Amino acid sequence: MKLNRALMRNRALPLFVWICGLLVLWEAVSWWLLHVAKTPLAQSKLPYVHEVALTLWQYSGTLFREGGATFGNAGVGFLIGALSGVLLAVLMSLSRTIEQLAFPYAVASQMIPILGLAPIIYGIMRDEQLSRIIISGYITFFPVALNMLRGLRSVDPSALELMHSYAAKPWAVYWKLRFPAALPGLFSGLKIAAPLAVTGAILVELMGAQRGIGVIMLRNLYYGPSHTYMFWSTVLVGALLGMASYWLMSLVERLVAPWQPEFRPQGGSR
Amino acid sequence: MSLVAAKIPEIQLEHVEMRYQTETADVLALHQVSLDIAKGEFVSLLGPSGCGKTTLLRLMADLITPTAGNIMVAGKNAKEARLAQKYGIVFQSPVLYDWRKVKHNITLPLELLGVKKSIREDKALELLDLVGLQGFADKYPWQLSGGMQQRVAIARALSMEPEILLMDEPFSALDEFTRERLNEELLSVWSKVQSTIVFVTHSIPESIFLSDRVFVLSPHPGRLSAVVDIPLPRPRTADMRNSPEFFELIARIRDSFEGV
Repeated sequence: MKLNRALMRNRALPLFVWICGLLVLWEAVSWWLLHVAKTPLAQSKLPYVHEVALTLWQYSGTLFREGGATFGNAGVGFLIGALSGVLLAVLMSLSRTIEQLAFPYAVASQMIPILGLAPIIYGIMRDEQLSRIIISGYITFFPVALNMLRGLRSVDPSALELMHSYAAKPWAVYWKLRFPAALPGLFSGLKIAAPLAVTGAILVELMGAQRGIGVIMLRNLYYGPSHTYMFWSTVLVGALLGMASYWLMSLVERLVAPWQPEFRPQGGSR
Repeated sequence: MSLVAAKIPEIQLEHVEMRYQTETADVLALHQVSLDIAKGEFVSLLGPSGCGKTTLLRLMADLITPTAGNIMVAGKNAKEARLAQKYGIVFQSPVLYDWRKVKHNITLPLELLGVKKSIREDKALELLDLVGLQGFADKYPWQLSGGMQQRVAIARALSMEPEILLMDEPFSALDEFTRERLNEELLSVWSKVQSTIVFVTHSIPESIFLSDRVFVLSPHPGRLSAVVDIPLPRPRTADMRNSPEFFELIARIRDSFEGV
């Protein structure tokens, strides 16, 4: 524990210095663009950090509400996509035939550009919430299925023989061995997919929606230089949503699969 | 011992043959192996790598099926014996499940049999006591040393009180000191559980120290080349390893290898 805390302190200080340095540099370049170089639209290119922060604070209510709408839809889509990804992975691990049938289509589905697919889905659904959910699920599905399948297949052959020697039923082999062994793979899939699901939801909003962070992002982009701070704020919120989704997955992983090597205390291994 | 063996063989192999089909060749892994193992006997399958000793154990465990011949385990064929949970198996590596605490690793077979939780927990503590790991019930496998992990694997194999214990080079990854200590502990565990043990090893001293009989296997093709009785009295003690009888047995077994 002591060692852990010391490590944290050692890591926190450089990070703090690094962030401060970056902020100072940003402000300096921003000032230079505006007053020395007199670049046109200087603030749109690199706005003052303090102005963006002020806007973030002033409009925090709106940003929070719209961000929440995006995050909520992305979350629902993510859950549906993750569940179907896991299901497909299980089916493919059960039978090579199903894998050979399904896998090429799963790969092909990822070749369709989301930018083209989003308006098509929106045109069919005519419902922004549903479209966001579908696109988020669509993006999530593939990395989850791929990583889960790999996890299910990566089981130690001796561990399987052990189950065989106990005359374990197939469902018991899945429930007590293959699933737990696949959790690290599943979570790497989920951690890749979560920020992508958020990005996907924002993309759908740019196609024309009433609610969501993507909507105010687009609106403030149209309004031009006078709304540049708000535009930057929405970009920041979008990035934060992506990060939050990743952190959330990491947290769930720690709770669900805490036995993994990377969570073991330093120097505590045999 | 041989008298008992004649009456009720616990494990009986008749003209067992095992062939593997590889891309380039047809490999004869075991050629015409016939042997009897008596109930309660401790035997070793000894030989250099490639002699088919592990294959022989896996055949008894019904992890693979022979290409010819007959295998009877506890009065059933090998598959029936496996389905009836007649044996416990210990592999070369502990094969513990990382996500399970030590006690839950030990009771995995009982869980699969549908044994009640309270009984399982009691059994886990009893077995940890037996293998000398009191107080480690709630640890995770990675918190244990290699020797301790292998003891957990032995406890797990014993959890459903098997008639037969099949052990595939269980101590070969451990250092010499740990291995010798675990040999002594295994004998003391065996004296308490009274099951039949088939122990695969490539160490001549280990096979002598542990066994009633040593089955010597030779490679190319894998075959049974000698059966050596070990007349050392029981209980066996560490200092027996330095006795003249022990060295004599080592020499005799070494001489019995063919074509190595």
